Amino acid sequence: MDTLVARYSRPTYDETVTEDMEEELLDPVASGLSLKFAMPPVAQPSSWLRSATDDRMNPDCPIKIAHGTTTLAFRFQGGIIVATDSRATSGDWIASQTVKKVIEINDKMLGTMAGGAADCQYWLAWLGMQCRLHELRHKRRISVAAASKILANLVYSYKNMGLSMGTMCAGVTKEEGPALYYIDSDGTRLAGNLFCVGSGQTFAYGVLDAEYKYDLSVEDALALGSRSILAATHRDAYSGGFINLYHVKEQGWEKHGFSDTNPIFWKTKLEKGEFTNVTSELV
Amino acid sequence: MSYDRALSVFSPDGHVFQVEYAGEAVKRGTTPISSVEDSPTGLCYANGLKPTKGTCAVGVKGKELVVLGCEKKSTMKLQDTRITPSKIGLIDTHVCLAFAGLHADARILVDKARLEAQSHRLTVEDPVTIEYITKYVAGVQQRYTQSGGVRPFGISSLIVGFDKGSDVPKLYQTEPSGIFSAWKANAIGRAAKTVREFLERNYKEDMDREDTIRLSIKSLLEVVQTGAKNIEIAIMAPGKTVEMLPMEDIETYVKAIEQEKKEEAAKKKTGRTPGTGSAAILTRPGGSGSREMAGDWEWQKNGGVGGGAPEEYGIWRA
Amino acid sequence: MCTDHGCASFIDKAYRCDQPEWAMPHQAEARLRVDEPHEDQLLERPTHLQHTKQPFPGYHQKMEVLLGITGKDFTIVASSKAAMRGATILKAQDVKQRQLNKSSLLAYSGEAGDTVQFAEYIQANTQLYSMRNEADLSPSAIAHFVRGELATSLRSRKPYNVNLLLGGLDPITLKPSLYWLDYLASLAPVPYAAHGYAQYYCLSILDKHHNPDIDLETGIKLLNMCTDELKRRMPIDFKGMTVKAVTKDGVIDIDFDDDKVVKSA
Repeated sequence: MDTLVARYSRPTYDETVTEDMEEELLDPVASGLSLKFAMPPVAQPSSWLRSATDDRMNPDCPIKIAHGTTTLAFRFQGGIIVATDSRATSGDWIASQTVKKVIEINDKMLGTMAGGAADCQYWLAWLGMQCRLHELRHKRRISVAAASKILANLVYSYKNMGLSMGTMCAGVTKEEGPALYYIDSDGTRLAGNLFCVGSGQTFAYGVLDAEYKYDLSVEDALALGSRSILAATHRDAYSGGFINLYHVKEQGWEKHGFSDTNPIFWKTKLEKGEFTNVTSELV
Repeated sequence: MSYDRALSVFSPDGHVFQVEYAGEAVKRGTTPISSVEDSPTGLCYANGLKPTKGTCAVGVKGKELVVLGCEKKSTMKLQDTRITPSKIGLIDTHVCLAFAGLHADARILVDKARLEAQSHRLTVEDPVTIEYITKYVAGVQQRYTQSGGVRPFGISSLIVGFDKGSDVPKLYQTEPSGIFSAWKANAIGRAAKTVREFLERNYKEDMDREDTIRLSIKSLLEVVQTGAKNIEIAIMAPGKTVEMLPMEDIETYVKAIEQEKKEEAAKKKTGRTPGTGSAAILTRPGGSGSREMAGDWEWQKNGGVGGGAPEEYGIWRA
Repeated sequence: MCTDHGCASFIDKAYRCDQPEWAMPHQAEARLRVDEPHEDQLLERPTHLQHTKQPFPGYHQKMEVLLGITGKDFTIVASSKAAMRGATILKAQDVKQRQLNKSSLLAYSGEAGDTVQFAEYIQANTQLYSMRNEADLSPSAIAHFVRGELATSLRSRKPYNVNLLLGGLDPITLKPSLYWLDYLASLAPVPYAAHGYAQYYCLSILDKHHNPDIDLETGIKLLNMCTDELKRRMPIDFKGMTVKAVTKDGVIDIDFDDDKVVKSA
């Protein structure tokens, strides 16, 4: 990161730039990782970005970042369940109902997306690249601990510069077993059994915490993940659309559907007698 | 860029002489520059490149351990040997490095390796693998053969240890050119060829602790005249940090080996009975010796740097 | 600073990427106006630091509990287990401590992200020191090193917002020690200490009951008095404490009863 700073802080006429490039040629790591971003031509890119995107401080901001979301992931005996909704909002406006909030980092590891969609998509794809490079350099799969730390270090280096991410990394390796990490754009990185992230997190936690056990069967775990997202889509205005459900195992992840919440809601209500506050007849 | 800034440039027939000279420094513990007057910069002594007699280091893998043996530099009368830095150093708790060549250069290289080992722990939450840190050390050495204004490291190193959670011993060698390779047993430095040939003749698979230490000391004694006082032995075992063998223990090994040698010599003088065990051991086994392939460095054989190194370092052409 | 060419004496803070210097001319001016550094604990964020974007420690950072108690042959370091973000407890088994070497332990609280980054940066450097010198840094040496790092960080564009307790045992004299450090780079050697709101509840208890000759068992009893009071009067649930002690046998985990229910008087 310091080289990045050095690159931008050096005036272009400085002749040492050529030496810098030479070094980059010699150092495969530097050239592989170098992130050449064009900075906006303003005095303070971070505050400029904030004024352009933070609709809480400035309701008329030109760029609205999708914030509302419910995502969850939990560890259990059979691996890890990852579930998300699929709604993207921009202020009060539903921008899309079919967003993929589970990001396939590679065929063994998943990431989830909450916060800025672009930030998450870009940096998780970048993380996928880092994981592959690690695999090539070290001749073995990267641990989830290391992968999550790469991402955490990266977002930490951009702290207070406008990144907005709340993500979970899930994977199963021989050394670690099922491993789950929470990473957010503050730079926090936590290992844990169970996390819910996004505006609907409290609703998902409510359902999930009550029935979560590590010994859950695969079937029950999938059902619980799905039901927790349903709960959040029902109560949180910024969550909805489809339930995106995944199961991560040591052999890799497995997709368990992208299902419309609407029929599931009515099925749950009518067959199980839940959601009794919603009446099916006009009164 | 001008040509005068780079010390390491190809000669018309494809040699990089500075790298080959570095190889000589490893063998002899000197630079090819024999006096200050010969040195173009006159900085030779200031850099610690005092011409001295070089020393030898060996590494031997056993079944569940790996041993590093070192010849200590012959010391001056008033030098305090107890606190003079050793040629065996810890890179991390589970990685040990022995070097042959220029001490001052090695200090820099070892320090870089230590920094990388901690930095690796910090970023990946796992200790380095032996292969990784070897690659890093070799990488640093390579960089100093290809940049302007620097001199290659006059160092060969043996890097040993166990990866986290593994009980497979690892032994690697790096050279000034930046080549690295994996071995079952190897020697570097002064008279490395003699010692390596001895190891080739006497190495056995899956040796226990005693045999591994014995072989290491015995091979060193091929070239070390002054015995136990000038030998250092470091032992690495799975999940443990380095164990330096106490002087007294080395002494007992040395005495036993010398006794054995005497008996053998006596036997030879008296009988010369044909077909005895000791003669069978000494025959050279077929094949190219005990070198293992280290992963995917196939390319280095053909296109690697320093292709025209002197005999000992030119094994890649063989 | 570069690690490749030998000009780095310490592991660099590689992950703190700042904006280009040229992009913020007015901040350079702001730094010129700093005449005397304040290193006392201040009630408000010092005016010379207000150009930085780091907020003054928020209330939920002060909800994190750090406690330290020394005795005749030990130092106890304890930290709360809750990792809070906004209105949610994200993790109830968090360990806000890092072991630095055989005989010192660092507990931290403060800004999310900064805490772990800073603690692991200190940890890596103390371990690097041990590898390079075949000797551990003493707790007092670490404390002064950390203070120096915090002081330079405080005057940078992106200060670490971290409060710390450093507990240790001198490896040679076996004398226990405890250092209190805050994000303004204050350093004080103390017999017992706390950070955050816990200070207001616990220091009076320790003032009354602590003396330097207590044994480990008494130390734990004192810690129990403190946590009981916190459970009784602090308005949030901090999910119990991770308790460790530095003794002559190194850093040991101490079984601590988190499930005890404390009734208000």
